[in-house]
Amino acid sequence: MQPTAPRNRLRKMLRVGIPVLLTVLLAGCLLPPDPKTEAGRDVFNLYLVVLALAAIVFIGVEGFILYAVFRYRRKPGDDVLPEQLHGNNKVEVVWTLIPTVIVLVLFVVSIMTLNEVEARSENPGVTIEVQGFQWSWNFVYEDGPTIGPRGNEPPELAVPVGEPVRLILTSDNVIHAFYVPQFLLKRDMVPVNENGTPNDIEFVVSEAGTYAGQCAEFCGTDHAGMVFTVNAMPRADYDAYIAAIEDGETPPTGGGDCETTIDISANNTRFDIDEFEVPADTAFCIAFENLEDVPHNVAILSGSEALFEGSFLNEAGSIIYEVPALPAGDYTFVCQAHIQAMAGTVTVTE
Amino acid sequence: MATTTLEPRAGSYHRSWVLDWLTTVDHKKIGILYIVNSFLFFFAAGFLALLIRSELAVPGMQFLDQNTYNQAFTMHGTIMIFLFVVPVLAGFGNYIVPLQLGAPDMAFPRINALSFWLLPLGGLLIFSGYLFGGAAAEGWTGYAPLTSDRFAPGVGTDLWIIGLALVGTASIMGAINFIATIFKMRAPGMTLMRMPIFVWTILVTATLILLATPVLTAGLIALFIDRNYGGSFFDPAVGGNPILWQHIFWFFGHPEVYIVILPAMGVVSEILPVFSRKPLFGYKAFVFATVAIGLLSFSVWAHHMFTTGAVFLPFFSFMTALIAIPTGIKMFNWLGTLWRGKLILATPMLFSLGFLSMFLIGGISGVMLASPPIDFHVQDTYFVVAHLHYVFFGGSVFGVFAAAYYWFPKMTGRKLNEPLGKIHFWIHFIGFNLAFFPMHQLGLSGMPRRIGDYSPDAGWTILNMVSTVGAFMIAVSIIPFLINVVATLINGEPAGDNPWEGNTLEWATTSPPPPHNFDRLPPIHSERPLFFLTQGHGHAVERPEDLVEEEIVDEKPGDIERRPKDLV
Repeated sequence: MQPTAPRNRLRKMLRVGIPVLLTVLLAGCLLPPDPKTEAGRDVFNLYLVVLALAAIVFIGVEGFILYAVFRYRRKPGDDVLPEQLHGNNKVEVVWTLIPTVIVLVLFVVSIMTLNEVEARSENPGVTIEVQGFQWSWNFVYEDGPTIGPRGNEPPELAVPVGEPVRLILTSDNVIHAFYVPQFLLKRDMVPVNENGTPNDIEFVVSEAGTYAGQCAEFCGTDHAGMVFTVNAMPRADYDAYIAAIEDGETPPTGGGDCETTIDISANNTRFDIDEFEVPADTAFCIAFENLEDVPHNVAILSGSEALFEGSFLNEAGSIIYEVPALPAGDYTFVCQAHIQAMAGTVTVTE
Repeated sequence: MATTTLEPRAGSYHRSWVLDWLTTVDHKKIGILYIVNSFLFFFAAGFLALLIRSELAVPGMQFLDQNTYNQAFTMHGTIMIFLFVVPVLAGFGNYIVPLQLGAPDMAFPRINALSFWLLPLGGLLIFSGYLFGGAAAEGWTGYAPLTSDRFAPGVGTDLWIIGLALVGTASIMGAINFIATIFKMRAPGMTLMRMPIFVWTILVTATLILLATPVLTAGLIALFIDRNYGGSFFDPAVGGNPILWQHIFWFFGHPEVYIVILPAMGVVSEILPVFSRKPLFGYKAFVFATVAIGLLSFSVWAHHMFTTGAVFLPFFSFMTALIAIPTGIKMFNWLGTLWRGKLILATPMLFSLGFLSMFLIGGISGVMLASPPIDFHVQDTYFVVAHLHYVFFGGSVFGVFAAAYYWFPKMTGRKLNEPLGKIHFWIHFIGFNLAFFPMHQLGLSGMPRRIGDYSPDAGWTILNMVSTVGAFMIAVSIIPFLINVVATLINGEPAGDNPWEGNTLEWATTSPPPPHNFDRLPPIHSERPLFFLTQGHGHAVERPEDLVEEEIVDEKPGDIERRPKDLV
């Protein structure tokens, strides 16, 4: 074997190294958030296809530019003209076809995904009118309450998971846009005249949780402050939430800051504490951390009746539970998967 | 009776140089006025960009309040587009097109002067909102009904409308002038298919301006009526339709993107062949691709409106995707021009290669945005901000600097300093990517555009900080450029007539050219009329017929002094 000249080695390194580096860079970032709706998952997958096509084009063209800069650089004193090539019809036909094929593929997969995103069910699980105004939101539940901003807290949109949620997007002032990044979906909220129909969107949330949302169409002075949260919960919790609001109570899982937060962690099928104390008639939070890949949650029981059931962490992770206010008294807290092994006492004091 | 003896007013009489520049109708002086004026607006709008980036560096409002922030990004966008990128390229067009055509001036020199002087007037009117209770603050797209008198009562928005209408009128007049010049004032022998590619791109651009800008002007007038005379075009509260504004704005606004990028493509298509020492690969395909982009640009406007729920998505998605084909052809033609060339990496070439690699990214993200489901996620986020800056800045502005370094010797007779130019390029290139590449990820993570503040919990802080650092790097990179221009004007290296061995007609006259441009013209048998004359001796001959024609060049005595020295 002949020793490789340093110049060749450099070139080789560039040839291999740059695509690898770029692929790692592209794979490591440039991704939307993990989608939390079913159609969002489709959009995410479409995005991956498009990103892959984009990466191929990017690496091909940028790679050629770099190659040309190194390979075809004029050497000092070289006054001989290169071949004066005016074009080549065959090559030009080929490279007309390449982008044509790419964009046609892109178009077809886009329209297929579009049909998923734009699908509408006959009977959505819930229908909520979202009203945008300068600069906050009202969520008007069909045959139910209206939830707006609460003091400085962003308004909360409660939706059930696992069933179609339809939102009617209205505005009687300027254009706003409803946008939840983790749903990979936004739609403008256009004020319409007497002949217009407002936009609507529909989605199925696949995972309970709290998701940040924000107005995405510039709407004036405090556009940046026009935020909201989506609180997706199981149907039973959702019904309780709506019922509580209709009764004029604080929603059982009302968001916002907690005055009291109890830290609990679970490991080796044990809680790290066996008792805690909270004030009566005040909602509080439990910052729960699961340190092992065994399903755990925290529930608060009065005898055998569950007053609060936190959603399960099926693997290591953490979650903030927002626990509704409890009357004074003694309760137990348990992991509902390991009621015997993981239990403790909650003292609620006046 | 006394008689009066009239002094003959032969020769030139003295005029102050200020008056001379104020009243000039010479396309070269007007071109320089365009360029200088545009750069002044560039610095103003760039200063606003630094304010915006400073505010966004960390969460919270530190420097500006929300209203000032909204005015800053509105003015930044409006001024950069209407008072910098469009007119600076029109300025290069003004200077170069008559020269490349072998013409003595533009077709309508006085209209040319008028269309320039409306620009600073319009620009100052737009800015003057700051003196009257606040500039317009509705974004450069001015979406109704936010611009109605109910939501934007300030006079700043009216000044914005009037200023834009003036600037639009100026560019319509400029466009007519370019079209007339290109069709009627070409040198003998210069058929359409022998025109330099820069002239082709200016021709298509001018046509786009002529067809698109009046639509915007009409929309602006309608908006003015809505605001001041009780009209109801766009306000739904009184029966109007806010989506109508978006149709009008983008029917202008999308061709506007090509108005901004096509001349920059033309610049790059002039520079790449000269610095690769080869002809442009596929000249004809390039011309057809330019025309195709121009035509298609009128059928894609609603891809800015996918999330309005008011447009037929498949059609506009398909037409938008189609634009990638002629654009792809151009990209391949540029790569084909580099292939087996002998590349000279002088500053104009560096900026042109920068154009290729940055515009590519803007093109790719544009195709991604053409997919409606992806657009539903990233529309109105920083992904779009990243995309448009890779097109406008990575594309057009890199083209502007390429043009500045390339044609500065022709305009002044002096060559800009190469080391300083390279310093400028590299700081500029790195700063640009630091400023705008992270915005792709910010947008994908859901950061909306046009917000002055964001939550510290959103996870956007680090990337915003990187972006701000990049923005300041771009600002720093302008310093060596300015030093270079000033130092070169004072004591620069003389350029000669044709310092880059260019092959188009502007290099066949002196640097700077005389007021009437040419004393004599070489014969024109291809899009590179100087190629044979500069390269033909002892080297490959471009076209055999050039050999024959050379001998029958009609040459009068006395023409010799004006001949480019390479030819003698």
